[in-house]
Amino acid sequence: MKERNFFNVVTIAIIALWLLIFAFIPNIMMFVISFFERSDTEFFKVAFTLDNYKSFFSSLYFQVLFNSFKMATITTVIVLLIGYPFAYMLARSNFKYKSLLAILVIIPYWTSALIRTYAIKVLLTTNGIINTVLETVGIIDAPLNLLYTEGAVILGLVYTLLPFMILPLYATIDKLDVRYIEAAGDLGASKFKVFTYIIIPLTVPGIIAGCLLVFLPSLGLFYIPDILGGAKNLLIGNLIKDQFLLARNWPFGSAVSNLLMIIMAFMLFAYYKSAKKINSKVL
Amino acid sequence: MKKQYFLVLLLIAFTFLLIPACKKKNKEVVNVFNWAEYISEDILENFEKETGIQVIYSTYDSNEAMYSKVKLLDGLGYDLLFPSNYYIGKMINDGLLLPIDLSKLPNLNEVDKALLNQSYDKGNKYSVPFMWGITGIAVNSKFINPDNVTSWSDLWNEEYKGKVIVQNDIREVFHIGLAKLGYSGNSTDPKEIEEAYNELVKLYPSIRLFNSDSPKVPLLNEEVYIGLVWGGEVFMAAKENPDIKFVYPKEGAIGWGDSYVIPAKAENVDNAYKLINYLLRPDISARISEEYGYSSPSLKSKEFLPTDIAESVILYPPQEEINKIEFQNDVFESIVVYEKFWEKLKTGN
Repeated sequence: MKERNFFNVVTIAIIALWLLIFAFIPNIMMFVISFFERSDTEFFKVAFTLDNYKSFFSSLYFQVLFNSFKMATITTVIVLLIGYPFAYMLARSNFKYKSLLAILVIIPYWTSALIRTYAIKVLLTTNGIINTVLETVGIIDAPLNLLYTEGAVILGLVYTLLPFMILPLYATIDKLDVRYIEAAGDLGASKFKVFTYIIIPLTVPGIIAGCLLVFLPSLGLFYIPDILGGAKNLLIGNLIKDQFLLARNWPFGSAVSNLLMIIMAFMLFAYYKSAKKINSKVL
Repeated sequence: MKKQYFLVLLLIAFTFLLIPACKKKNKEVVNVFNWAEYISEDILENFEKETGIQVIYSTYDSNEAMYSKVKLLDGLGYDLLFPSNYYIGKMINDGLLLPIDLSKLPNLNEVDKALLNQSYDKGNKYSVPFMWGITGIAVNSKFINPDNVTSWSDLWNEEYKGKVIVQNDIREVFHIGLAKLGYSGNSTDPKEIEEAYNELVKLYPSIRLFNSDSPKVPLLNEEVYIGLVWGGEVFMAAKENPDIKFVYPKEGAIGWGDSYVIPAKAENVDNAYKLINYLLRPDISARISEEYGYSSPSLKSKEFLPTDIAESVILYPPQEEINKIEFQNDVFESIVVYEKFWEKLKTGN
């Protein structure tokens, strides 16, 4: 027993140290820097200011935030609409090849996300596969402008983030106690009623977890709007990147990144609260 | 119990073993920090063979990343860097660079005098040109007659709406706005930059995409017909599709370049000189130029290049065009003004 304790302590200590050095300390540094002033010659000037936060609340950056949230929301809704039925089928149907389906969801993720994004680009170009097929079949006369549009960006985000919705949903649907469904059926509930009154409420934690796992990354994936959207819109991820790498404004970049983190923390907190509430109700 | 202790000890011992393995000090070395995909490995291996100096090579993908690292370490740990010319002024001001003794670089004699003594480093006190290139207008002659395109302002033509590509580069995009108004592309006057922004707002609806990574792809896919594109990309695109032409705008093309600089705290300065001199050698410089599509500053290197490259008016511009080129220079703190208007431009004005 004692040895096992020692081993536990060591493994946890290594992970804790790792997180401390590579996650906690950098975040603290970002937090501190966000209250400093920009400097012409150094990375920042040690002088307290709140201007970095104030300047974020200007109409320009609100527009950036609004655009990012709009994209993330649309993506999340689409991913949920596709992911829920898929996860449900994966978990509950008697379909023979469902384990194969599960593998097919995972396999593309063995390839770099960047390469997959470029692959979408190949599909969508003016003389790409989709346009060529549509033209040959005769549905369209001239190639459609598919690439470098908002639609292309959303397609890229949906494709990249789909598994993050499917997997938590699969986990909750799989755990679903069949007896509830049977009981509802015995009591005369229609299939639709079973779904809306029993299945959905019981899988809410999975839905929220999936939505968070999709929504939050889609705010930060700056390369997808760059590649598929033609870098025409500034999203919050691009804004942070540019502040650090282009404008050499570390304090402002840190402030934006902190604000984003606060928003995310708030959402996670809401998730935690709602999950707790739902669980206590179920029990 | 013993097994677990042993495992942990082994892990710790292994980490310590790795540290001395990284530090081989008995050999002559030169620490190079360069852009990714700039010098191929066989060129460096050849240098190691010729001189016995080991090249320790690491790469970066933006000036800013290189600058941050060098600045944080105060220039310690590297012997040779390749910043873009518009970054040199800042590095000189910060005291990060060592003055260069040009007499140690005999191969500098082959370098085109037109590329020396530029405004970013008068008299080449700190830098020597490594590779350079131009950005001008690419036109697909299948859709647009190149004779009708003579100036940056032609990009604003309503007919090309939705078919324009521009570099995803804040400085180059503002350069065309400034040059259209007759200002310098290196302007530091906030008023001029704002006027250029107002011009770019009018261009924005015409722009199909911003792309600096590989603008030749949308050109070849006929996704776009015209645009502000880097010369090397147009050269490569034209090889695949001869309809794609390069036009020198009458205001002059945008010139950019990367230079050799030695950080102030370099530890192997002599070896850095040897490597610079080796890379300036016309045959070596020609190999880099051929492989990556940049222009070599060495005039003699043309003798070592295939004729299609050596005679290309894109990669080796004619003298009268060279004289008109405006080279990018540091705008120092005005970059904040540029950045602000760039954000405005990209947030839907």
